[in-house]
Amino acid sequence: MPVWELLSVELLTAFLGLGLLVLGLLVPKGQKRGLGYLAALGLVGIAALAFALREAQGVVWEGYIIDPFGTYFKLLFLFAAILTCVSSFEYIGRLGNGEGEYYALIILSTLGMMILASAGELITLYLGLELMTISFCILATYRRGDMKSAEAGIKYIILGALSSAILLYGLSLLYGSTGSTLIKDISLVVNSGGVTPLMVVGMIFLLGGFAFKMAAVPFHMWAPDVYEGAPTPVTAFLSVASKAAAFAAFLRVFFVALGDSHPLWAEVIVALTILSVVVGNLVAIPQKNIKRLLAYSSISQAGYLLLGIVAFSTLGVGAILYHSMLYVFANMGAFMVATVFYNADKSDEIQDYAGLARRSPLLAAVMLFSLLSLAGIPPLAGFVSKFYLFMAVIDQGYIWLAILAVLMSMVSVYYYLQVVKVMYLGDPPPGRPAIEVPLGVQIALACSLAVLFLFGIYPTPLTNYAFSSAAAFFH
Amino acid sequence: MGSTLTLVAFWILFVLVVASALAVVLLRNIVHSALYLVLSFVGVAGIYILLEAEFLAAVQILVYVGAVSVLLIFGVMLTRRGNIRQSNLFNAFSLAAGVVSLALCVLIILALARTPASLPLGSWPVDTVGALAEAFLGPFVVPFEVAAILLLVGIVGAILIAREVKEDK
Amino acid sequence: MIRYAWLVPLFPALAFPVIAFITRRLRTLSALVGIGAIAASFVLSLGILWETLTSGVTMEKPVEYALSWLALPGAKDWVLKIEAGVLVDPLSAVMLLVVTLVALLVEIYSVGYMHGDPGFSVFFGYLSLFSASMLGLVLANNFFMMFFFWELVGLCSYLLIGFYFHKPEAARASLKAFVVNRVADFGFMLGFFYLFLMFKTFNFRELAEALPHAPHMGLLAVAATLIFAGPIGKSAQFPLHVWLPDAMEGPTPVSALIHAATMVAAGVYLLARAFVLFASIPEVSLLVAYVGGFTALFAATIALTQRDIKRILAYSTMSQLGYMIMAMGVGSMTAGMFHLTTHAIFKALLFLGAGSVIHALHEQDIFRMGGLAKDMKVTTATFVLGALALAGIPPLAGFWSKDEILLAAYSNGYTGLYILGTVVAFLTSFYMFRLIFVAFFGRRRAGLHGHESPKCMTVPLIILATLTVVAGFIGAPFVPHGFSSWVYFGEPHHLEPNYFVMVTSTLVAILGIYLAWLIYGKEVISAEALAQRWRSIHTVLYNKYYIDEAYLWFFRRVVLGLAEAFHWHDRHVVDGIFDGVGDTVRWSGYRLRYLHSGSLPVYALVFFAAVVVFVLWVATPVIGGIR
Repeated sequence: MPVWELLSVELLTAFLGLGLLVLGLLVPKGQKRGLGYLAALGLVGIAALAFALREAQGVVWEGYIIDPFGTYFKLLFLFAAILTCVSSFEYIGRLGNGEGEYYALIILSTLGMMILASAGELITLYLGLELMTISFCILATYRRGDMKSAEAGIKYIILGALSSAILLYGLSLLYGSTGSTLIKDISLVVNSGGVTPLMVVGMIFLLGGFAFKMAAVPFHMWAPDVYEGAPTPVTAFLSVASKAAAFAAFLRVFFVALGDSHPLWAEVIVALTILSVVVGNLVAIPQKNIKRLLAYSSISQAGYLLLGIVAFSTLGVGAILYHSMLYVFANMGAFMVATVFYNADKSDEIQDYAGLARRSPLLAAVMLFSLLSLAGIPPLAGFVSKFYLFMAVIDQGYIWLAILAVLMSMVSVYYYLQVVKVMYLGDPPPGRPAIEVPLGVQIALACSLAVLFLFGIYPTPLTNYAFSSAAAFFH
Repeated sequence: MGSTLTLVAFWILFVLVVASALAVVLLRNIVHSALYLVLSFVGVAGIYILLEAEFLAAVQILVYVGAVSVLLIFGVMLTRRGNIRQSNLFNAFSLAAGVVSLALCVLIILALARTPASLPLGSWPVDTVGALAEAFLGPFVVPFEVAAILLLVGIVGAILIAREVKEDK
Repeated sequence: MIRYAWLVPLFPALAFPVIAFITRRLRTLSALVGIGAIAASFVLSLGILWETLTSGVTMEKPVEYALSWLALPGAKDWVLKIEAGVLVDPLSAVMLLVVTLVALLVEIYSVGYMHGDPGFSVFFGYLSLFSASMLGLVLANNFFMMFFFWELVGLCSYLLIGFYFHKPEAARASLKAFVVNRVADFGFMLGFFYLFLMFKTFNFRELAEALPHAPHMGLLAVAATLIFAGPIGKSAQFPLHVWLPDAMEGPTPVSALIHAATMVAAGVYLLARAFVLFASIPEVSLLVAYVGGFTALFAATIALTQRDIKRILAYSTMSQLGYMIMAMGVGSMTAGMFHLTTHAIFKALLFLGAGSVIHALHEQDIFRMGGLAKDMKVTTATFVLGALALAGIPPLAGFWSKDEILLAAYSNGYTGLYILGTVVAFLTSFYMFRLIFVAFFGRRRAGLHGHESPKCMTVPLIILATLTVVAGFIGAPFVPHGFSSWVYFGEPHHLEPNYFVMVTSTLVAILGIYLAWLIYGKEVISAEALAQRWRSIHTVLYNKYYIDEAYLWFFRRVVLGLAEAFHWHDRHVVDGIFDGVGDTVRWSGYRLRYLHSGSLPVYALVFFAAVVVFVLWVATPVIGGIR
């Protein structure tokens, strides 16, 4: 397959992002809404292309790997980006300025994630990561004049730089002790038993850097503050796509390059899993702000995804692929509701959601089913995906870990249902009108809901895709 | 002979870089910190020269010493108000931070010491600029292009944030 | 057509949300949607049966296709694999037709019966949901899927029994049905999971192939017995029969469709589907046969003394289901399924007839009726025809099928069960004609006058009555290539007509009718005097052997006593623990929150400290500590 065809998804994404940047300057004020539609439609087209090329396989200049595993993640990022764009029309339109740049940054950060998922070389990986991070830093400050947004941006920049520094140090140590930045060459060195103490240090540094992006405890501290301050669509995108991208890159580096040193880092992953699942779920309980609640829930979700890494098996990788895809739709669904609600009421406090079921049955229903899917209640897709993750660790003998995760899932039901209780049993504040949901968002909400139900009731098409991608990636 | 000279030069540069880096952290005047940062950058450039990477050294001087540091000092001067002598103070966590930093430092040194130096000392390219150019436009073309987009994003971000400040006034 | 079998449950399944969400306000449209959907399924089922019989699809060569529903690849083999599939063989094809036919007629009938009810649309929604679930159950190709639909029909039954939920009896009856069935279903579920553990599959055909290589016959017997708990509950067999008579609190069309023709027959269908399992363990077969036979007799004796028209029919249903289960137990799946088919038709007819009477009189006690024959000609004629079929008078449908069961018991050497079956035949004709002579022909006891029901109710009655006359001939012994050559286990065996069995059962039935005429028609023998003379037996029968009372006593004294004890334990021990856990969880949540102070230096410090800790943890063994 020629190079341009292998790289077509990335190239088109880059063109779309840069094109929007230029168009944003050319389009007269008052017609900028079209930019959002263009971004969403362009992403849909690229997603279709990526789906058509899902079986494509090849290596570009040794350091860039196109395979079903990477393409699966690219589809995931594209879906998240589409939903983000659709839910941004209203939100960003109200901010008044910089719409072209906004959509361009969303798309360019998607490009960064794609590069992360496909990088077979450490420098490429790092640049992809930075492209994603820098774009997010700017996006996080987009709520101009809002102190929390500025704070979120600054915190993300500084802590992101710290994590990048650690990651970069790790990468350089890895390069220094193996003599190559290519993942396949590194795996050859590790294979031949050449694990030096310096490499181990590098490994842990890398792990810390990735865990930061995953928002796994104890590298999660940035997440609640940044999630709360950033514009809600950006938070949604950050919470699903950047996490998935970190998992994609982590899998490639640790399962392929460092796969043979698995015993060295396995215990650390178990520790991260336990901490994330426990702390994420416990601290979510007292939260009063929907975005902070979802932030802690996303920390706990990172813990569940880490279960797949603990398993270190094809089943585990497949389960990560499956869960992260459905997590996109469940979390985006919840955040889209939060966005629409904020547009109407200018509030993110859970207590203000009282009586939402009467003000907008659609919003309340989407929130309900998204949260139930996050909690893993059948027949929603989250149940099946968590089931796979738990089975993956049980298959490897970590029954106690599965039991802990199930117990913590039960805790999560408690705080998710707190929100549901407010929405369905609370009385709407007097004088609040029904909430109008824009058509585009209605479609996006309906799609998310349909996905959650479809793959909950009939998961096989997606599991087959996820597991075959996983099997081609890791055996 | 050459190697002894190189070794002496290395240790001088080593002390220079580490001492100036420590000064960046420890000094209380942030302008002084910034100036020591320039010194530290220059020291690193010297180490590049010792490693026969002249082009990198030139870039280091141009970009970091020339551009980054100047930008940094401008930034300090534009944003800082009040007593400049007390502008780079420690917060309440200095002790814990010191312990953590020291531990990290010790661990890295220990790991380094216990690692056999097994790096193959192959032949270095004489013409580093040419080699770099070939790498950028050859096997590393993907990261090269990504870096271009990354820089663009950085510029756009800077403009966006700066414009915001202007409008707020 | 067989390729499209999956559409059969889909039509009514789609009708349910359409009625529930779209046409709920529009009553006529709701009924049309429901009836249209089931009519489409009926036509498709006809086509499927036709193709099954003409294209060489047999019990050994069924058509099966499946989607993988939930698959979990393990290291070597599948850890878990559940299919959603369709299995079409003559057995399921016949059953599809029976279910869609009865459901179609009942829905048409309901237009008249439920006319003016505030829950009209909802009723059609529930009926559609039920039909979809029942058809799914019939088509299921594995235990898991069958159980899924089995639970769903149970849910629909619960909803429909409690349809008049404002009536306390109805609410209580629905709860009773729900609880009793849960007990049975739990056994069923344990049983097939047991099978799964042994054979690593839920699929019926794969199980059938694996059965001869069963690792342990004892375990297999346990699994089969547990699975049999399902039919005991769903088909209302002794001792879990108590819910069915109470289920008559639901609307009469529901009783006809769910509690006479289809859902209660699901237990029999399950036995037929898993026949190979039961046939391979003689002890379990014997258990099945005796449970069925005992229930047949037991229910028939209770029916002798009941006064409520629907309850008489309910006990009759139990008794007939006992027949079918007995047939399965004595090794004749053909006879059991044949009786299921004919019984579905004439029992639906009887229930709908009873519904027509109740619709006219708003009265269910037969001793307050009388002389209805003059007011309701069509209802009376069709009802009598149905009763004759139930009594087993040739050449009506019931005769052929009941005869086949008796013949199977007789020729397979179960003489005791054969005699028992003949006695039940006598009792059946007696209690049915007691009902008829009292309600339709006797003097007007309470001065109630009936009126004939509307066309949409009488037409289904006439269609069913016609089928009652005709349907028996598909399985009559002198018909070549009849029922027994389609639905069979092992190889098609055609029992030679046994004139001794035929004549005896006919004579016995006529004797029952004659006796009923003497007592209730001509009243030459006084019913009161008889009841006085056999007072104790009459009281026991009238009170249904006090089984409900016994259960109630057991429930009050033992279960509630235990519950009280457990409740105390719960409140003082478990609650304490859980409250403690809950409080601890909440408290630790609040505590942990303080870590997140919002201060950037703290975050950075934690980040680096974590890195240091992890490096120490992992690298120490590699570095070898600080030497």
